[in-house]
Amino acid sequence: MTILKVEQVSRTFPARHGNAPTKALEPTDLVIGNNDFVTILGPSGCGKSTLLRIVAGLDRPTSGRVTLDGREVTGPGADRGMVFQSYTLFPWLTVRENIAFGLRERGVSEAERNKIADAFIRQVGLSGFENHWPKQLSGGMQQRTAIARALANDPKILLLDEPFGALDNQTRALMQEMLLGIWERDQKTVLFVTHDIEEAIFLGSRVIVMSARPGRIKAEITVDLPHPRSYKIKTTPEFVQLKERLVEEIRTEALKVTEHA
Amino acid sequence: MRPLDPVTSKQRVAYGLAFFVVFVALWSWATFGGYVSKTFLANPLTMVQEGYDLLAKQGFIYDIGMTIWRVVGGFALAAIIAVPLGVLMGAYKPVEAFLEPFVSFARYLPASAFIPLLILWAGIGELQKLLVIFIGSVFQVILMIAVTVGATRRDLVEAAYTLGAKDRGIIRRVLLPSSAPEIAEILRLVLGWAWTYVIVAELIGSSSGIGHMITDSQALLNTGQIIFGIIVIGLIGLLSDFMFKAFNAWLFPWRLA
Repeated sequence: MTILKVEQVSRTFPARHGNAPTKALEPTDLVIGNNDFVTILGPSGCGKSTLLRIVAGLDRPTSGRVTLDGREVTGPGADRGMVFQSYTLFPWLTVRENIAFGLRERGVSEAERNKIADAFIRQVGLSGFENHWPKQLSGGMQQRTAIARALANDPKILLLDEPFGALDNQTRALMQEMLLGIWERDQKTVLFVTHDIEEAIFLGSRVIVMSARPGRIKAEITVDLPHPRSYKIKTTPEFVQLKERLVEEIRTEALKVTEHA
Repeated sequence: MRPLDPVTSKQRVAYGLAFFVVFVALWSWATFGGYVSKTFLANPLTMVQEGYDLLAKQGFIYDIGMTIWRVVGGFALAAIIAVPLGVLMGAYKPVEAFLEPFVSFARYLPASAFIPLLILWAGIGELQKLLVIFIGSVFQVILMIAVTVGATRRDLVEAAYTLGAKDRGIIRRVLLPSSAPEIAEILRLVLGWAWTYVIVAELIGSSSGIGHMITDSQALLNTGQIIFGIIVIGLIGLLSDFMFKAFNAWLFPWRLA
């Protein structure tokens, strides 16, 4: 069942200081079904974050439209949870209060808020850190809290913009497994933007490859690897084969960007 | 000593006190040694004697109380007006565009230059003193708070939007808490300036307060009293600063964590 529909969405940033207008995103179509885990893979500057921000309602498309459950997206809302690459926990709130932010905004009672927040704290493995300030957490823990904060709102779709991009490799691998575990258990709909090929294959049921300047969808690859997936899958021949194919696709795009730069 | 090497808190206190010791030593050397005439600068002992005399016999405590009340009153008045206005300006760009040019202009108007006008309008009573401090502080606070609120991290605002916050929620639950420590810092800073304005206000057309005592002492060439008055102002400033800092640390534990 289709939940998110991106129809002919494009984005051009207006001219500045005498430069020509920048075409960040060519008219793009994308359909995401219920419980899909779609990863968008592309080099930096390919408009993948722009596309995600438009879906989130944080940016307006120059043309086209985005619909969620048949209703057009006109601005940000609680039905689309977002996790950013930068650490965006509210520094003045504890871990528990951060996770309960959206619930409080909806007027959920404090007892109920804490119950939901604590359940998500356990789910992302942060028990014992409920009353810590974000400053006291490592980067990985902050992003786990950010994921819990988005999930606590029970959004129809979870949008992630390179959430593990700033983490070291070991932490990143653990975070991927945690996120995949949540998805396998709760069957959320997820749209995940990354420039990491392994991450895109390991997490996604579908990988959308985007090309650079102007950004557009170049290829779409279905990942038929079985669930539940563990980190060991990354060394299987099927995984390596997919990776090789995507490396080729991305390489040509990355080259294009370097030549233009 | 190496660049940026930290000092222990004990050393910090010791160095801080050492300065005052050096200062008093130099002062004693200049005055007791006879290098500076008594008429121009009293020696430390005379200063302490005069200070005791002021406190014990001339009711200087009352003057100190009056000055503190004026500073706190005028400053509170300014804060009550300036904080909401500053937040509104920072949050809403049209409000900022409407008020910013005037506030920027008004903040360069010297508060002391208003004193003759204010005497004309409000007499030489308490209201006039409060208004001097109010005029001196309010525009500064508005502008600094507007800048702070306007500089709130955009990604935090966006995160709040995606969590379902509406405009009210953005102001109350993101812009305000994220700017609150800065706002407290701004108030602490401007409170220091308010002390300058109050003394100036008391130098002219006043019958009480530390500034009034200083003018009286000037007429009598009593430099000991003048210096004592100045030192009292410094001590009160230091104390209020310390209290403000402790209060801020208690109010915003997440900053220190």
